[in-house]
Amino acid sequence: MTAQVSSSVSSPHRYVIIGNGVAGNQAAERLRERDPEGQITIITNSRMLFYNRYLLPQLFHEHKDWRALLAYPAEYYERQRIRVLRDCWVTSVDSRKRQVMLAHNEAISYDTLLVATGGRPYLPEELVECRHLIHPFGTYEHALAVRKALPENGSVVMLGGDMIGLDLARTLLALHYRVILVTHENTFWPHQPVGEERNQFLAILQKMGIEVVDGEAQGGAIAIEKGASGLPERRVRFRQGGDIYGDVVMSFYGLLPLVEFMMGSGTDIERGLLVGTNLRTSDPHIYAAGDVCQIWSEKDNVYRFYYGHRNVRAMGAVAALNMTGGNEHFSTTQDEALFQNEQGYIDSPFWAYD
Amino acid sequence: MNSTDIQIALCGSAGDGTIAAGDILRNAVAAMGYRVICFDVYPPEIRGFGKCISRVRITTEQTYALKRQSDLLVSLDDSHAIPHAGEVRTDGAIVYESKPVGHCPEGSHMSGHILPGQIPYGIPLRELAEKTTGGSRSRNLVVLGVIAGMLGFSPAPFQKIIEKKFAKQGSSVVSRNLAGFQAGYDAGVNTFKLDNVYCVPQEKAASAGQVLMLSGNAAVVQGCMDAELNTFFGYPITPATTIMERLATSLPKRGRRLLQTEDEISAIAATIGAGYTGARAATATSGPGLALMAEMLGLATMAEIPCVIFVSQRGGPSTGMPTKTEQSDLNAALYGSPGDCQRIVIAPTNVEGCYRCAGKAFEMAEKYQTPVIVLLDLYLSNRYETVTLAESGPPFNLNANKPLRRMEAGELYHRYAHSEDGVSPRAVPGDMGCMHVVTGLEHNTLGRPNDSDEVHTAMSRKRHDKLLAALQHPDFTVTKRIGHSGRVKVGILAWGSTFGESLEAMFMAHAQGISCAAMKVVMLSPFPTEAVSAFMDDCDHVLVPEVNYEGQFAHLVQGILARPVVRLSRVPGSPMPVELILGEIRRLAAMV
Repeated sequence: MTAQVSSSVSSPHRYVIIGNGVAGNQAAERLRERDPEGQITIITNSRMLFYNRYLLPQLFHEHKDWRALLAYPAEYYERQRIRVLRDCWVTSVDSRKRQVMLAHNEAISYDTLLVATGGRPYLPEELVECRHLIHPFGTYEHALAVRKALPENGSVVMLGGDMIGLDLARTLLALHYRVILVTHENTFWPHQPVGEERNQFLAILQKMGIEVVDGEAQGGAIAIEKGASGLPERRVRFRQGGDIYGDVVMSFYGLLPLVEFMMGSGTDIERGLLVGTNLRTSDPHIYAAGDVCQIWSEKDNVYRFYYGHRNVRAMGAVAALNMTGGNEHFSTTQDEALFQNEQGYIDSPFWAYD
Repeated sequence: MNSTDIQIALCGSAGDGTIAAGDILRNAVAAMGYRVICFDVYPPEIRGFGKCISRVRITTEQTYALKRQSDLLVSLDDSHAIPHAGEVRTDGAIVYESKPVGHCPEGSHMSGHILPGQIPYGIPLRELAEKTTGGSRSRNLVVLGVIAGMLGFSPAPFQKIIEKKFAKQGSSVVSRNLAGFQAGYDAGVNTFKLDNVYCVPQEKAASAGQVLMLSGNAAVVQGCMDAELNTFFGYPITPATTIMERLATSLPKRGRRLLQTEDEISAIAATIGAGYTGARAATATSGPGLALMAEMLGLATMAEIPCVIFVSQRGGPSTGMPTKTEQSDLNAALYGSPGDCQRIVIAPTNVEGCYRCAGKAFEMAEKYQTPVIVLLDLYLSNRYETVTLAESGPPFNLNANKPLRRMEAGELYHRYAHSEDGVSPRAVPGDMGCMHVVTGLEHNTLGRPNDSDEVHTAMSRKRHDKLLAALQHPDFTVTKRIGHSGRVKVGILAWGSTFGESLEAMFMAHAQGISCAAMKVVMLSPFPTEAVSAFMDDCDHVLVPEVNYEGQFAHLVQGILARPVVRLSRVPGSPMPVELILGEIRRLAAMV
């Protein structure tokens, strides 16, 4: 590909990418193709290099060293001259000075910034106080912790049951764990089936072996406690007075875009960073890609989120092209509907991974 | 994995407690039964902001040198530690401050310098120290706790050493420091490990003797004390100062004496004077001090007075590089006096050797009535190793003096009488009937000045020949060959601290299928011609690695044996890199 940006010898263009996921790494790869001399810096709060989170359920089949999950080996970053600042927390972005402020009081200067921080798990307010009793599932460390906490043939109470959780549920069932799904309005997130369609999909989940508890009918989960002696480790209490037990409680209520650090940057934010189809924010030097951004949809006349590996990766590529002078527009190629596959199980383009 | 071999580097600024943390770490792991080699690098400034690094290699098997790459780097000051980030191996770990105080200029934080293959661990060291101790000075103890927690070490040995170290400062200081350590330990235990730096729990091995963690200089002091050193005179100079400091504590406890003189000339003069009176006496210095002692050393040679001089080499010439290691005082030690100034020069190759050489130096000085220089270097002086001392007691002969027979009435005492072994019975002031003259002038057997050619020739021969017996000195390793026996492709001929790196390189060469042997030469004067020559006979190529610019030892070997050697001389101010020696071995082995 022909480089679109010709950097001067004295000051190569400084690209800073906040986020070390699919979008951020796709963008970095494309940026390097387009600007061989540019300075590319990825900032992440993870200690690990970019790894494939879609593969995390595999850790329940067999223990894998985290290196086996890496999308690229460490040498790739050295070869591509992509600097990765790991274990770094971004606290704010000063768009006037064009600086990313880090928690350790360092300011990283940029000429063009890409925000690709993705999302963090949403947890209903009534459960926040109990979060220490909930096993999260977003990282390699989390996955190992769940595996360690689960006894053989043990039970998992899955609150919510978004598509990330249901992907894990498929693995757990195959390994003879018991999965109890407590439904919530965000069950099947990011899909939003309603009415009869929703009931049909819930019925399919039951056919797959998932025990479905109608969380909405119970008034929702309001507390999680340690199980009493002789019972499983965790007890989930419902507003209507009922309860269920499990060895592990996990919450899967969907993701919220990670944008808090952008407050005060001057960019337009609704739930996510608002961008046009060129993925540029209201600040011409700041782009966004992945689960963190809401993209203007002419068709729907709203800013909306696009999820799934393929969408996110395409966003990373489009953002990189436009950060280097291109004029590309994002459009989804992914069918977004939840469906029943040939085996009669639910399936989702959200689970598709290239 | 059933063995441990990890190296931890702690790096900070002077005042951060870096060296103190390294000291606690090495003592704690040694107490657990690991083998330890450590080396501290510190700045020449007494106070200020210079760089301090303490490197600790922890193993289950015997090793001989530090590794080029560390497995774990701890930064107490990023400005100093950042240049060392590249020294950490792939999948190794870097621990650093995640919440520094104040503004951090762009590019000045460790997180931006960690290579993709290394694992970052930002830990709020200052915050943990402040929360638990009320101040940030205990960051070094927090860091120790983090290391112990991450590596799965038991906290007990650390706690014991911390208690002992701070006991004199009162119980509140002890408890604060223990709290700082515990906070770090908890953080370390709760840190999800991504690196592959592991220690296999060590069963404390049954030892045939007393296991001590000693630096080279501490081992010298232990050797001096076990050899019943009576009197020490010294003038402080890096890196020999700690010998005097330690003796200043140890000698008075046994009713013996130490005097800090006004300069090195006084120190050696007093040492010779004490030796003349029969006291077991020594001094310690470095290159610049040795230069000042040169003239007085000639007196000791001429007057045949026993004395021991410990010389710890540093970068030179002149004031040079006081806190950097070098092996460039060999010529000064061998030849650094006017006239044919014969003397014994021995150079230990490891910390245990420092102990043995120190004790044996007194034996030799007294047996051969001559100055003995024990040639150390900064790397060896400051290097810590676990040393096993025999339970059967010090391996030193404390009565090596040639017996003095009783003088008959009217008989003249010939202090410098010729004898078969060249050694004359030595009287000290007060010995009945043994009045004699002691002078720096050439003299006859009575000690009276005489500059006739016959006397000067005979006395020169006497002073020279008597030293040759030192090559067969009992229970002393003059040279030692290690590695493949018989004919080898490459032979490494090394002396002093560089022998450890040479051995490591040799074992690595063995693993690569290269036929290779190494010989350490401990006695440098008189030179062990036969042993070295026999070794060279077995080698297709002889490699001489040494940390000086001119190749002083190579000069010595070639001058005496008139045989070619391959020189590997470097002056990096740090130990010779093992990989450099290995590279030369491989190059030579590949030659037809």
